[in-house]
Amino acid sequence: MKRLYLYLCLFLAAALLLTGCGGPDSSDGVTLTILGKESDLGKPYLTRLFQLYQDTTGNHLQLISYKDADFETQAARDVAEGRAPDILLHFHNADLNRYQVDADFCYLEEQAWVSDLTDSARAYCTDSSGHLLGLPFWESSVSGCYYNKTLLSQLGLKAAGTQAEFDTLCQVLSEIGYTPICWPADGCTWMPQFALDPVFADDPDLLDRLNRGEIGYGDIPAVADMVQWVKTAKENGWFGNSYGSTGWSNIAPLLSSGQAVMAFIWDTWFYTDFTADGPYTMDDFALMPVFMGTAEEGTYEGGNLNMMMVCKSGSHVQEALDFLAFCATPENYNAAFDGISTVSCFRGQTTNIQSPMVTDAYSSVAAHERVSTAASKIIGYNAEDVMAALNAMLRGETDVAGCVKQLDDYRLEEIALQGTVAGPAG
Amino acid sequence: MKKQFRKILFLLFICIVLAAIVLIGSIYSQYISQRIYEDSTRSLDEIYSQVNRSFGAFVERNWGLLESWEEARVLEEEAQDLRAFVDQEQAYWGFSDFYFLSGKGESLSIGGVKAALDLGTALDTLAGQREPVMAGTVLSSGEEVTLFAVPVSPRTVQGFSYDAIAVAYTNTALASSLNVEAFSGKARCFVIHNDGRVLLSTQAGGNVFDNYLMYLRAVSDLGEEELAALAQDWAAGRQGLVRCGIGGVSYVILYQNVGYQDYIMLSAVPQSAISAGFLSVQKSTTNVLLAIFLLVGAVIVVMLLLRSNQLYRRNRMELQYQERLFDVLSNSVDDIFITLNAADQQVDYISPNMERLLGIPVEEARKDIRVMEKCTVNEDVVIPRGVLESIPLNGSRHWEYEYMHQHTGERRWYRMTVYHMSIQEMRKYVIVLSDRTMEQQMNQQLQQALNDAQSANTAKSNFLSNMSHDIRTPMNAIVGFSVLLEKNADQPDKVREYTRKITASSQHLLSLINDVLDMSKIESGKTSLNVDRFSLPEMLEELSIIVLPQARAKQQDFSIHVQGAPPEHIMGDKLRLNQILLNLLSNAVKYTPEGGKIEFSVCPIPGAGQQYSRLRFTVKDNGIGMSEDFQAAVFDPFSREINSVTNKIQGTGLGMAITKNLVDLMGGIIQVESAPGQGSTFTVELSFLLPEQEENVSWYRSKITRMLVADDEEDICLSIRELMRDSGVDVACVPDGAAAVDMAVTAWQRGEGFHVILLDWKMPRMDGVEAARRIRARIGEQVPILVLTSYDWSDIEEEARQAGIDAFMPKPFFVSTFWETIRPLFPEEQVSRQPAAPAKLAGVLAGRRFLAAEDNELNAEILTEMLEMEGASCQVAVNGQQVLEQFRSAEPGTYDMILMDVQMPVMNGYEATRAIRACGHPQATTIPIVAMTANAFAEDVRNALDAGMDGHLSKPINMDAVRELVGKLLGSGSAGGDRENT
Repeated sequence: MKRLYLYLCLFLAAALLLTGCGGPDSSDGVTLTILGKESDLGKPYLTRLFQLYQDTTGNHLQLISYKDADFETQAARDVAEGRAPDILLHFHNADLNRYQVDADFCYLEEQAWVSDLTDSARAYCTDSSGHLLGLPFWESSVSGCYYNKTLLSQLGLKAAGTQAEFDTLCQVLSEIGYTPICWPADGCTWMPQFALDPVFADDPDLLDRLNRGEIGYGDIPAVADMVQWVKTAKENGWFGNSYGSTGWSNIAPLLSSGQAVMAFIWDTWFYTDFTADGPYTMDDFALMPVFMGTAEEGTYEGGNLNMMMVCKSGSHVQEALDFLAFCATPENYNAAFDGISTVSCFRGQTTNIQSPMVTDAYSSVAAHERVSTAASKIIGYNAEDVMAALNAMLRGETDVAGCVKQLDDYRLEEIALQGTVAGPAG
Repeated sequence: MKKQFRKILFLLFICIVLAAIVLIGSIYSQYISQRIYEDSTRSLDEIYSQVNRSFGAFVERNWGLLESWEEARVLEEEAQDLRAFVDQEQAYWGFSDFYFLSGKGESLSIGGVKAALDLGTALDTLAGQREPVMAGTVLSSGEEVTLFAVPVSPRTVQGFSYDAIAVAYTNTALASSLNVEAFSGKARCFVIHNDGRVLLSTQAGGNVFDNYLMYLRAVSDLGEEELAALAQDWAAGRQGLVRCGIGGVSYVILYQNVGYQDYIMLSAVPQSAISAGFLSVQKSTTNVLLAIFLLVGAVIVVMLLLRSNQLYRRNRMELQYQERLFDVLSNSVDDIFITLNAADQQVDYISPNMERLLGIPVEEARKDIRVMEKCTVNEDVVIPRGVLESIPLNGSRHWEYEYMHQHTGERRWYRMTVYHMSIQEMRKYVIVLSDRTMEQQMNQQLQQALNDAQSANTAKSNFLSNMSHDIRTPMNAIVGFSVLLEKNADQPDKVREYTRKITASSQHLLSLINDVLDMSKIESGKTSLNVDRFSLPEMLEELSIIVLPQARAKQQDFSIHVQGAPPEHIMGDKLRLNQILLNLLSNAVKYTPEGGKIEFSVCPIPGAGQQYSRLRFTVKDNGIGMSEDFQAAVFDPFSREINSVTNKIQGTGLGMAITKNLVDLMGGIIQVESAPGQGSTFTVELSFLLPEQEENVSWYRSKITRMLVADDEEDICLSIRELMRDSGVDVACVPDGAAAVDMAVTAWQRGEGFHVILLDWKMPRMDGVEAARRIRARIGEQVPILVLTSYDWSDIEEEARQAGIDAFMPKPFFVSTFWETIRPLFPEEQVSRQPAAPAKLAGVLAGRRFLAAEDNELNAEILTEMLEMEGASCQVAVNGQQVLEQFRSAEPGTYDMILMDVQMPVMNGYEATRAIRACGHPQATTIPIVAMTANAFAEDVRNALDAGMDGHLSKPINMDAVRELVGKLLGSGSAGGDRENT
């Protein structure tokens, strides 16, 4: 389903691109260049937005894309070599060290629309100095522990508020024959990053030292804590008997049937992949933080937002700033996100479809949400490698220390491998 | 069957006992379980009642605390002072925060933070009913707390109007106060509302229970009715207990009203935790019981094993003892025992004596019993194929076999019996080989004895036949000539002729009787030897004197040879040796035809030791010889080869048997080599003790240093030279008389003349007498000349002495004889010579007076006549008693000698002699008493001497022997000259 969705987006983006390639009409306003990934520029809400802008302002938008894999390198080179677009569509504030941020991009915290940004969304677009670097405009979701609240209520149980309560809840559920956590052994490689997000998001210095090679995972106790928790959960049966045989496609049946009570996933998954074949539907689920041994109060991973950055060396800086203002106008973003399932980036965003699960847990999410840090900011982080190391430990091939070392080894191998990655296609 | 039934009964008994033990254990376990469970439940109730009371006290204390503040008007103090007071109290009481509460559910913390607190229905109680409450709520931070609130007078603080105050405790802190360490920490304690909502939980890690009633409904095995009853209990504030299973675990849920509002103190304890003590006790009890059971079982098993082992060992020892006993028994008997398994005919048992008796190793026989067939003499099949199977059960068959020992060749006879029997329900063939060797040998011996008896009977029949013939022959002559004598008494020539023939026949008859008696004596083991020193040359000379005339009478050539250097004096029974040799020589003469040759030789042989000399005597003739069969029996008594020649020769057939027995008696051996018509050679080897000192013959050493010997037989010359070597005499030898003359004259002319010349009589070219004459003619009378001859020199003595021969020496040459012969020829040595004077014995009996004891009137008459013919007188007594009385009553000197018969009535000769010697007569001890008896053996002589007699004469009376003995005892003179010496 996800793949089909991806193909549809690509098709629309290509159509838009072909339309855009028709060349600006010099008589009807300026033409702004927008540089982004191939897969990003085809998003339907962007297509709506771009069309609305062009229709409303008479300006033209020229969409320039690189293949996803080559994008970061190629875009950084364009900016550095004077071929900067007017607007750069960038994956929030990750990997900005390729640029000279203060020289290349305009700070936006003084723009009028800033106050309309949700805190979460703003956080994704702010650098370490507190400068707002872009306008978040993207579909987003909240990753956390989605649990079957109906079932818990029927069981006379309640959601956990702390790591200890979570472990107790798992134990109680396990005792009465339920699979507390749906933990697919393969194909679901995202879960460990939820645990690592608070480790590095709460301590950026730690992340920098890790990326600089000054320390390794073995020097970070929280990494071992996460690994230990996974090991304990498996040994206590919290992953149930389905561990090892379940995968991505089995999460929905497990949750829907009530066999599994909780899963570490994101809210939009319920809209895209959850098919309620069992007695429980999406309405039966609620959100609580992920507890994986690294944060006593739990953690949520925020949405992976793209933001629109204005290049100082672009041809139309002011027009670009105006374009951002156009996008941040409630009428426009509500028109663009109408019917789109996403977490709101703007406080005035009303037309998008926001899951009740996130809404109900708003205060908790606000309190414990972390920007996706591990997967996006740890150099050499490879989710599949991390899951492979954990699975090796769960199979009894190594212990906690061995697993931590294996994680580090994989990370370093990935770093070495990334050094050979070729640049994006023209 | 009975044994099996007993075994089943025993097993049944064991099963019943085990079942009883298990049943008792189970009942005991259940009883203990119930008791302990009840105790544990009671304990659980007491524990949580205590917890409930403590919690109630805690609630009361907090309410009391807040009310005391109200009463103390603490709340009216300034905000800062109030806060300081609260902080002080908080530090003491441990509450987490202090709140001012409004009737709308708003709150103001002592820190000044306003918030809405969801107190639920408790707010109504607090605000409406103005009663203290305990309520749980969640703070904005998400933390769950429990408030203890009391209504107070409405006041305002920091602009916040309130009419109640509260202290808050985090649920975590409160839960810890409710936690019970008992039941291994597995008990969960809750404070819940009566609808099941959970206020507090001691669940480790925090409370995750929202509604315990729902929880039980969802996960427990309680039915709806039970849940409804439970809910009713809770709603009514009743206390109670319910058991249920949750997630496969049994729980005991105990509940009781806290006493405030709708709160219920609920505890859920796993039954296993409650029963832990019981389980521990049960486990311990079970372990103890099990240990006791195992111990008892082990003891029983060990005892059974020991008993079994003891029985096994006893049985084994008994079996070993029986086996050993049987082995020993079978080893000590000559019967062999074998057991075969009937099914495959494999050997089960073989008695170990098989190897000893048959030479077949037991292991070899175990592999194949038919190996015994190798031992059968006739290669019999020991157990024919199929025969065993044909033997019916409890039946038997037997065979007879002769076996030969594999190694020694010893033969044995066995009766083999095979029994087919069932032993402990197994078919067996028991084979017994009974040794019949003794029986067989006895039969053979009996047969041999029968044969021997028949042979002996035949021999004795032959002997009697021969004896009849041999006795009747001389008796016929005696009787016949006696008749002729009577008829021709007036013809002196015929009387002398008849008398001579009667005497000869009598002598022959006497020798025949002597032989028979000798044989009888020898066979009865009563023969003994009379060992004394005697001269070998003398004995040979005596033999020569006896045999030579017999040989001459048959124109036989008889010669005596001495080879080597035999001792001249030896210790032995001369009489018996003489008897042996004379027997051989007489036989040689008898069985050698006229003109034959008889050689008698003596030679020493080695192997006798230092003090002994072993001599080999050989009698060789060229007579009729003997067949090989007869040689084997020649020494058997009463045997004599029967042929045309021997039939003409008189003999008892005992001579060789006597000879053989005498040789055996003397520790020697006798052998014969002969062939019919080839003559015979008898060899006798005997050992003789040497006398301690030889006669000193060193007188010649300064007088005789050179000696000439002439003999045509070189062996004799060399023998003489060898014999004289020790004497220091140089012997020159020449082969004939002429050479002797030449050498003697030549030596004399050189001034180196011989000191003695020894000449053989008969030599080629020139005999000894002629040679002596010529030597005397040339060198005079200075040199002693002796003639050495094996012939009777009486016919030539006169001629020889005239020819100048000084003396004669018989062959064979002996050194001592030589010195004795020549010693008189040297004047200075003549003093010591004591020549015999046999001629004086002729009148030794004249005038002698004899007292003779003789019960036989005829013998007495003969004796008297014969003595009177010699000029002696004889008075006869008829028994020993009479002779004693006559002697005792006679005047001293009445008798010169007593001739004493031995076997007499009234008193025998020995008793009479002892009586005479003891009778006190003046001549009692001195008068010679001579036995005159038919008891003629050596022991008879010894017995006579032991009885006190002085000599022994055997019957029939030989007057020469009488004269010799009388001469010896009374002197050779007549009665008048010797009387004084007796």
